[in-house]
Amino acid sequence: MTEPTRLALRRRSFLAGSLAGAGILAAPAIVRAQPKEMVVGGASSQQTWTNEIMIPAFEKKYNIKVVYEGTRSLVNLEKMQKNKGSQYLSLVQMDDPVMITAVAEGLLTPLTKVVPNAASLKPGVTHMEGMWVNYLQPWVGIAYNTNRMAAPTSWAEAYDPKYKGRVILPGLQNTEGVMNLFLASFLKTGKPMAEAQKDMDAAFAKLKEMKPNLLMAYTQEGQAYNLLEQGEAFMVYGSISTLALARKARGAPIELAAPKEGTFSMPSGVALVKDGPMPEMAAAYIDLMLSPEIQAQLAAATYALPTNGKVPAPAGLDKLVIHPIDWANVSANRASWVTRWDKEMSL
Amino acid sequence: MTTKLRFDPVLLLAVPAAIYMVIVFAIPVLWLVARGFMDADGFTLSNYIKFLSEPFNWVVIGNTLRVAFWTTVVCLALGYPTAVALARSKGAVQVAMLIAIILPLSVGVVVKTFAWQIVLRRDGIVAALLVATGVWDEPKLLLFTEHGLVMGAANVFLPFMILPIYSVLKLADPNLQDAAATLGAPPVFRFFNVALPLAMPGIIGGVSIVFSLATSMYVIPSLLIGDRFQTLATLTGRAFLLMRNEALGATTATILLFLAVAIVACSALLSRGKGDSR
Repeated sequence: MTEPTRLALRRRSFLAGSLAGAGILAAPAIVRAQPKEMVVGGASSQQTWTNEIMIPAFEKKYNIKVVYEGTRSLVNLEKMQKNKGSQYLSLVQMDDPVMITAVAEGLLTPLTKVVPNAASLKPGVTHMEGMWVNYLQPWVGIAYNTNRMAAPTSWAEAYDPKYKGRVILPGLQNTEGVMNLFLASFLKTGKPMAEAQKDMDAAFAKLKEMKPNLLMAYTQEGQAYNLLEQGEAFMVYGSISTLALARKARGAPIELAAPKEGTFSMPSGVALVKDGPMPEMAAAYIDLMLSPEIQAQLAAATYALPTNGKVPAPAGLDKLVIHPIDWANVSANRASWVTRWDKEMSL
Repeated sequence: MTTKLRFDPVLLLAVPAAIYMVIVFAIPVLWLVARGFMDADGFTLSNYIKFLSEPFNWVVIGNTLRVAFWTTVVCLALGYPTAVALARSKGAVQVAMLIAIILPLSVGVVVKTFAWQIVLRRDGIVAALLVATGVWDEPKLLLFTEHGLVMGAANVFLPFMILPIYSVLKLADPNLQDAAATLGAPPVFRFFNVALPLAMPGIIGGVSIVFSLATSMYVIPSLLIGDRFQTLATLTGRAFLLMRNEALGATTATILLFLAVAIVACSALLSRGKGDSR
């Protein structure tokens, strides 16, 4: 009675094993059989507009299949590190601080000479002699509940005692949280933004003054917007346009204010992988991404500012100053800033 | 009588689970612990010395243990009477109670914490009630405080306290209490000398589970108190996910593991000692 059962089990496991083996063998064959396929490494948060705008436009124009691998910047970096010598990614969309590492490790190749539209980019969005460019500027403002307060005009407003317990900050784990340190330093010292980014003593001294006004510091932005839309919080201080304006468009009673001191934009770089497959096609992809038509579409879909100077900024934002961020400084010091935040901003 | 070790084939039933746990738990945990004792030159204690010599990290350890302690206390205070009532109930009432206890487990932690946000906010039910009854003059903030965190965590972990105590009480003979009463034991004496010792294995089980869960909780504090209150678990998560500092993450994770195991083991030992002397 036991014998046939055992035999059946063995057969089944043999079958499963051989299927798995066939799968492993088949995978590279599929890749090999499709030479006209270009792989783009990016972030999963960029998947929607890539699928809806970029890929259809590119595939139509060049008749080539694009595969988008949406993950995180550091994972893309690891993919390039591990495949050095036989890269399979043609281009990458990564955060600016990660781009710096990739440049240092010789994983990128300059794009400005092979991408004609790079010539019409706004100042400040081409980095390290054309190693990467920003294709969009998701700007950071103050999101506020329109039922609870009037539009804030300055970053200083959140320090007003009338907002006791009503302000939400991003934690320093979030990149938009790091920018609050620069703003605090700027408000404390009045130094130009570029210098203010270096003065962390002033930054923490100022940010601590906001403690009585703080409702919380978030790591999950969904929670922050939830509290804002319910009216428990009046403002999210350091809110990304891509998120806040998308929620507003869905009917949330919120608005995103662009303070008069100017602001920063979230990292959003694109670069060519050094010795990556299909370099001409990769350059063409970036060129299309930076073209006025696609820039206008991307900016509308993501509520970010276009980086091509020929594309007008959304209404009311044409005078908004985007201050550059010294990402090398951020990368080198972020861990120590986080530790300091834990101590000085704790409950 | 010789105690000969005879192989019992039934034990083989545990082999799949054992293999599974070795691969997904034991090996990673051993690697993690080892990583905390390593640097570029091999074995070192420097990761621990560095971590423990920073006074703020003791605040973090204190945060972790204090919140876990109060969460366990609240769960025990609410859970023990519930478990007694549950063990005593019968039929439809018992089914309804069990459903009420187990069903919330199917609601995710994230959903629960969002619900707490609505209940605890300044124009929420709790604040309205406290103002209406005159306890508070004006609505205050309950959200994003340590009290709010303990309340929320206790809500999530309560079933893990009730169920072990209930499963033990269910097996105890209900006549023992009556027997003690007929022999003249007053209620307080009966509670400490009959009811509590009978429930003790369940209480130890519940306390161990809730305390371990509460020391290592990650999502609940990040949503209910936010980024201004660090525990060992949130530090560990950040060390790996944000800072990519494996040595720091391994160190905090190992300290967390050690504290949780030590406290659970101590409570078990203490109560066993008590049980033997009885």
